[in-house]
Amino acid sequence: MGNPLNIEQFLIQFFTSHHCEIQKQEAGKMTVQLTIDMDKALMNRPFYWQYVESTGNIGKPKQLTFITDPEKADEGEWIHFGSPRLEQIYQYLSKTSKFIHLYENVEVMNNTMLQPWLLTNICIMYEGKQKKEELLSIGLNLINGTFLFDMMQRLEKIQLKPKISNHCYTISPLIKVKSGLLRIESYVESYVNNMEHQWALESIQLLKEETMMIHHFYEDSEEETDMNKEIEEVTARLQPQITFDIINGGILYLTENFST
Amino acid sequence: MSNIIIQKDQLFLEQLEEAIESNQHLTNWEQFHLHYQMKKATMVTEFNELKGLSYLPHMTFLDHQINTVKTVMEDMNGRAILADEVGLGKTIEAGLILKEYMIRGLVKKALLLVPASLVNQWIQELHEKFYIPAASYRKNYRWNDYPIFVTSIDLAKREPHREAILNIDYDLIIVDEAHKLKNHKTVNYSFVRALKKKYCLLLTATPIQNKLIELFNLVTILKPGYLGSYETFTKKYGKIKAEKLQDTYLNKLIQKVMVRNRRKDTLLDEVKRNVHSVWLQFSVEEQKVYEKINDFFHGFSSLSKITFLKELCSSREACYLSLQNSKNEQVKSVNEPLLNDIAALPHHIKAQKLVELIQSFKGEKVIVFTEYRATQYYLQWYLDQHHISSVAFRGGLKKGRKDWIKQLFKNDKQVMIATEAGGEGINLQFCHYIINYDLPWNPMRLEQRIGRIHRFGQKNDVHIYNFAIENTLEEHVMKLLYEKIDIFERVIGKLDKILATLEINNVEDEFMQMVEESQTVGEMQIKMDNFISIVHDMSDEYGEEKHG
Repeated sequence: MGNPLNIEQFLIQFFTSHHCEIQKQEAGKMTVQLTIDMDKALMNRPFYWQYVESTGNIGKPKQLTFITDPEKADEGEWIHFGSPRLEQIYQYLSKTSKFIHLYENVEVMNNTMLQPWLLTNICIMYEGKQKKEELLSIGLNLINGTFLFDMMQRLEKIQLKPKISNHCYTISPLIKVKSGLLRIESYVESYVNNMEHQWALESIQLLKEETMMIHHFYEDSEEETDMNKEIEEVTARLQPQITFDIINGGILYLTENFST
Repeated sequence: MSNIIIQKDQLFLEQLEEAIESNQHLTNWEQFHLHYQMKKATMVTEFNELKGLSYLPHMTFLDHQINTVKTVMEDMNGRAILADEVGLGKTIEAGLILKEYMIRGLVKKALLLVPASLVNQWIQELHEKFYIPAASYRKNYRWNDYPIFVTSIDLAKREPHREAILNIDYDLIIVDEAHKLKNHKTVNYSFVRALKKKYCLLLTATPIQNKLIELFNLVTILKPGYLGSYETFTKKYGKIKAEKLQDTYLNKLIQKVMVRNRRKDTLLDEVKRNVHSVWLQFSVEEQKVYEKINDFFHGFSSLSKITFLKELCSSREACYLSLQNSKNEQVKSVNEPLLNDIAALPHHIKAQKLVELIQSFKGEKVIVFTEYRATQYYLQWYLDQHHISSVAFRGGLKKGRKDWIKQLFKNDKQVMIATEAGGEGINLQFCHYIINYDLPWNPMRLEQRIGRIHRFGQKNDVHIYNFAIENTLEEHVMKLLYEKIDIFERVIGKLDKILATLEINNVEDEFMQMVEESQTVGEMQIKMDNFISIVHDMSDEYGEEKHG
């Protein structure tokens, strides 16, 4: 199961981190004043902004009232998993929140070394006659090659920021990002190779049967193009496939303490 | 697992290095973390999980609909015939399947082929019920412009669309009213077969109308070879009648590619249909004109005679206009005095009854179905004279206008007067009364009318009033089709099967023929009684399916 995510908390974080003011908030309901950038990103009214800007005026970004308690659904925009707005916000995040380059925030008086890490959040998609997904969060130390798993959970415990802290310095990676990524990929590959894949066996069996049927159907016919088309379709539908999709990731500079 | 293809992320490295290098497209921890959390919360972690249900909290799905979606996705791997009886929600099932596949990223590009009159409704339902944005085709669109198009097969199969569409790899094709594909020699059939598709849903309430080969043709679109080759199939099953399908090995095979929910197996059955026959008598003047027409056109093509008689049973206006506009020279030669007679008639007996009945409903919404546009106009005027508000609905109207009329009916008007085409493609569950001002000669069409209100979502019992005038053709229609065959008490699928076995394609034609070939009323009566008793015998054969 996916993590239960508190949508209200999520929205507050999303909007405040995008500098939008939460103007009113009560149980199951909140009103947000969008910034110009957020209005452009979410409200889908390019002509308005184009017009405003071409006439040299200052546009007025909208206010949105979100409802998370269905009882109040007619008092604003009902937002829930699967609602178009949440989908839109997710799409927005997928585009804008893919890469980080951050430093661990530490308050130290002595010179402190920060080590480079490669972080990848990888979605593994298992796709045959059906499909499921699994999310791995992997960190690789680019100095000594240490792997860390559940990396996001670990990172939640520290502070990260775009500027390096006072008295800190970074060392250059011994492992290049490119070969670091290869290491992570080959780890994930062996991870899936060591699994049982009943789903894939079933898909392959089904694919064989259906391909045989198609051959049989076209046995006495000349229509080879038709047959090949059908075989392509059944293959697209049933051929087991595993895809690694890196949801997001980046380079982090962390203290030595982090991995201990 | 050498048989599994492994695809790695090809873009990430380059994009990351680019982002760091340029110090652009980088984000802060908070937003990075939100993105990750959201992915974690929304991903599909189980093969057999239906995610759409929790994504669509404004919808209540019925058990049979959810089971159908699971069966199609888990057991049939996305290629199936959805053959629920009318009104059980095939559209809902198809929409939910589309939604599930989209959530999983398995369907990105889909094409829905539906009757032209239903395009708008499909788009609206996908949008409102499933939050799926779909477009209908317009001039200057390209078929790649939108991920999901809803269009009619008649448009899609014409050039230049045909070529463009056949070039696209679709993830999902949905064909509504798929029984229109039963004949493999048609252009429609070969067009659908030629479409490049991964998943495919064929929707029809009547998967077999006549012969098993129809089902073979549908299955072949989904899985060629599944039922063998055309030759072997016709050799083996060509002579077997549709009703013998039960208990055969073939039936077992078919159940793996077809889901058929029946009204009697679902909760919908709890909403009752109350059917009332309303018998009327023509006034003396009306009866005289009726007999006159009957005599006048004796010896003419009986088709036109039957048409004029049917029209007179509906309204003066329908009959008058039709006679007046007749291109037939013979008809023209005799119609002058007839027209005068018709014009002199008083208000139609049915119209008077209609007003009386509607007034007795005390403001409840009513749909009135008539077969004729002229009657529709007349009734709207006549109801207005009695201070009953109404809207007129017919097929062929523009999308926006149809929606507007429906909305008007829902909010402001008591009565909707619909012609036959108006029966398709509108859901009016807020209404519980139907008056069949004219009865169609085909029970399937009547079922479609009733299906507009007696369907998924209806919470009240529905009342159906059937008008018929004694001593006219209507008496026979009512007695034959609606009382003796007793259609309302039966599962429509059963009648389907019976008619298919009798090789009756179209009840209307059959009935016409009986009327046409009979010299006297007595002879007609005997023919009809024969027909009825055959239908009854056969329905006893399927006794185990008896309803209720």
